[in-house]
Amino acid sequence: MFRYLPEQGSDYAGTVDNINNLVTDLSVFFTVAIVGTMIFFAIRYRRRDGVDHETPHIEGSTFLEVIWTVVPTLICVLVAGAGYFGFEKMRTLPVGEEPVEINVYGQQWAWSFEYPNGKKTSGDFYVPVGKPIRLIMTSRDVTHSFFVPGMRSKMDVVPGKYTSSWFRPIKTGPQVVFCTEYCGTSHSNMMATMRVVSEAEYEKWLADKGRTQTPAEEGKILYTQNACNSCHSLDGSRIVGPSFLNLYGRDGVFADGAAYHADENYIRESILYPNNRVVQGYGPPSPMPAYEGRLKDDDISKIISFIKTVKGEAPKPAPVQSEKSKADLTPDARGKLIYQQKACIGCHSLDGTQVVGPSFKGIYGKKGELSDGTPYAADDAYIKESILNPQAKVVKGYPVPSPMPPYQGQLSDADLNDVIAFLKTLS
Amino acid sequence: MKTEAVTSHSSELNYLNCDKSVWSWVTTVDHKRIGLMYLFTISIFFFIGGLAALLMRTELAMPGHTFLPGDYNAAANTYNQLFTVHGVIMIFLFIVPGIPATMGNFLLPLMIGAKDVIFPKLNLLSFYIYMVGAAMALMGLFIKPIDTGWTMYAPYSIRTPSAVIWMTGAAFVLGFSSILTGLNFVATIHKLRAPGMTWLRLPVFVWALYATALIQVLATPVVGMTLLLLIFERVFGVGVFDPTMGGDPILYQHFFWFYSHPVVYIMVLPAFGVVGEIIPVFSRKPLFGYKAIVVSSLAIAGAGFVVWAHHMFTSGISDFSAKVFSVVTFLVAIPTAVKVFNWVSTMYKGSISFSTPMLYAMAFVFLFMIAGTTGIYLATLAVDVYYHDTYFVVAHFHYTIQGGAVIGLIAALHYWFPKMTGKLYNVPIANVAWFLIMFGFNLTFLPQFVLGMQGMPRRYFDYIPEFAGLHMVSTIGSYINALGYSLALFNLLYSAVYSRSKAPANPYNALGLEWQIASPPPHDNFHEIPVVTHEPYAYGKPAHGHGGAA
Repeated sequence: MFRYLPEQGSDYAGTVDNINNLVTDLSVFFTVAIVGTMIFFAIRYRRRDGVDHETPHIEGSTFLEVIWTVVPTLICVLVAGAGYFGFEKMRTLPVGEEPVEINVYGQQWAWSFEYPNGKKTSGDFYVPVGKPIRLIMTSRDVTHSFFVPGMRSKMDVVPGKYTSSWFRPIKTGPQVVFCTEYCGTSHSNMMATMRVVSEAEYEKWLADKGRTQTPAEEGKILYTQNACNSCHSLDGSRIVGPSFLNLYGRDGVFADGAAYHADENYIRESILYPNNRVVQGYGPPSPMPAYEGRLKDDDISKIISFIKTVKGEAPKPAPVQSEKSKADLTPDARGKLIYQQKACIGCHSLDGTQVVGPSFKGIYGKKGELSDGTPYAADDAYIKESILNPQAKVVKGYPVPSPMPPYQGQLSDADLNDVIAFLKTLS
Repeated sequence: MKTEAVTSHSSELNYLNCDKSVWSWVTTVDHKRIGLMYLFTISIFFFIGGLAALLMRTELAMPGHTFLPGDYNAAANTYNQLFTVHGVIMIFLFIVPGIPATMGNFLLPLMIGAKDVIFPKLNLLSFYIYMVGAAMALMGLFIKPIDTGWTMYAPYSIRTPSAVIWMTGAAFVLGFSSILTGLNFVATIHKLRAPGMTWLRLPVFVWALYATALIQVLATPVVGMTLLLLIFERVFGVGVFDPTMGGDPILYQHFFWFYSHPVVYIMVLPAFGVVGEIIPVFSRKPLFGYKAIVVSSLAIAGAGFVVWAHHMFTSGISDFSAKVFSVVTFLVAIPTAVKVFNWVSTMYKGSISFSTPMLYAMAFVFLFMIAGTTGIYLATLAVDVYYHDTYFVVAHFHYTIQGGAVIGLIAALHYWFPKMTGKLYNVPIANVAWFLIMFGFNLTFLPQFVLGMQGMPRRYFDYIPEFAGLHMVSTIGSYINALGYSLALFNLLYSAVYSRSKAPANPYNALGLEWQIASPPPHDNFHEIPVVTHEPYAYGKPAHGHGGAA
């Protein structure tokens, strides 16, 4: 009775439907039983000819109260348990299988899709039958929700955050996709069609793409353009920040002892707000500048796609220079070490090219104009101030406020003198 | 047995005719008059909210753009405004004040043997705060009707050009009215019970009001804060919920549901109380398991505070939170089931008369069984993922709120009508209206369960042709439902003004204190404070002598 769910399209749809049908049968049984009892009492004990008959004074029954507290409790435990384990199945990707990952973007009022090979589409999208499909979703404006009734899957698509869902289509054919979180005027037209096709047909469709760069390739360009490479290696070696090698999916511990799992949301947060949560051994504070407002949401998705591809065997960590040997170095060599360790290298080149900040080549003694028009000369005092408090004086042509983090409290005066000694060698 | 004799002459001055001037009404601190003023006002909003629903159902009768004026997009916008207006008005202006502010105000002092609530002037202030909030909501409707849905989810509500500030401001102000009424009721129940009216002699309607008032006082400030943050975000660009300003949209949902889940119990607990009053009187039996019913009201009020995120299983909260909130949600099911069993058992070996209030009470049990069991689907995690934000949810909460709270209010209006007006209503018309409401309501919302099962999302102006037939059935049902409500309320209003049949003080031979005084009650309720010597539902004791013919 009351079996109205659409045809099952995913491997877990059967589980969902079984739980649904269990609840339906229990509901129908109890509704009929209780309402039936009420109607029976109403007829059996009705007041005939408008005359009251004598009624017993029954205030209750502890026995019955216990029965009808315990029985519903047991049924609730049963149903809650079924829902719990069904949900577990719906949320857990099968182990040992590479899912087809598709980036899904919601915006008023259309769905668009991006495949790992760079294929982009909107409205219609293809998935292969029999394979786990993982959707990594985010919104470009307001909250939407991605609902595929045939798959029994639904997940909100939230701006500023990644959500994901997965399913394994079990039959070929079109599946309707609805937006189920109200999003404005054309909410009811924000639909898409998911075409479940054979793997061969899927590969053929996927290969026919309009452009050559994959999101991961674009991500790699962004990785260099934004100077991520100056602190994050790809080969497992530690420069300043953690290497990107095998970063995606890693489990680790923050400086405060809390555990983390390096998923999409974690990477996104680390890029936008590096100091929110810093991995143990890397601060706090993190020397990384915040990329909030400097990278677009789509760029972050591409960088994440790139990071996912950086996998492989990690080489042995390089020996760390000890404190003792440091003291033996010349001041300008110590300055160079600081330049590398404090990630100055990320924004200040040594060869005259401008990365984010001015190059250090020939910077000592340089004269010029600040952003407010006053002249400056790069003497010892000026350089020290620029390192400790970058906002105090920003050189004309560079962004105000400066994206550089202040090094106040991180470098001693001796350190600063070493850095200046190093800069003097770069004329 | 009461010590106060049942003495009231129909010629005596009562609360209605003691001073007939308009000024005496607008400045009244009499809880009975304040209750009637609320009743009159919320009836107007019930009408406006209902009209919005009928316009929506008319548009939805067939797929495509069919009825609303303008081109496709203009009609879609109008539709979005209609469902928002329907939701905001029905929730904040009609059903939240609903039973507590109308019947609660009128009955609470009468049922506990008091001359008024403990803070009569505060009570009037609550009413005027409500009127200010209502005026703000209407302003919002005239300026640019809000199109966010009653949930006003961020960041959509931050970016839409419609008059969000007016409407959220209105809901913020209305919250204060609700808090003050709740505060007044809690203090009244604690301090003004008549001698002998021990806690376990309180009528279950008073217990229900008590549980409701606790929720009003504790939960309403949270929604006030949330709406204020929303206004701040819109006006000053303070990023709390909008991710482009560094906010978190899911935080809004947590804040919103922390109030708006308990608010469901603000709506429906008083209706439970009404049913608990009606069934014993028309069965001539004590309320079965009185203590269990009292405890379950408090348990529902308490558990209602810790289940809010079951509205958010697919919102992007962690899987762990979803699991915890699903399991906790089942805690609400158990006390609710206990109540239903107790109501039905009360009828066992009774002497049951099918008076109109009893018909509504029985309808309530039937509708609430459907509301409750469909709630189980939505608490069940794996199944809710499928049903969330579909018509299944729409049907479920209409069974809860209309089938529960509104039917409870209509039942209460019929049951206490003789006491409130001193007159009798036309019974055949009332029963026809009952049938139309029951038939129309089920015809409207049963098909919506099926639509939800088939995957029809909610808040859709247009839909794919597969869903067409059931939408048509639902629309026809909504017209019959509206006809039923109109007939029922017209019958009551007409009888209140024009009926010549005078109601006796105690037409049902009921034991409640409110029935021991004249109909309508005198201005000061009890000339002498009564002394209570027995439990509230002492029916069926052969020695009692109250079980005689009606």
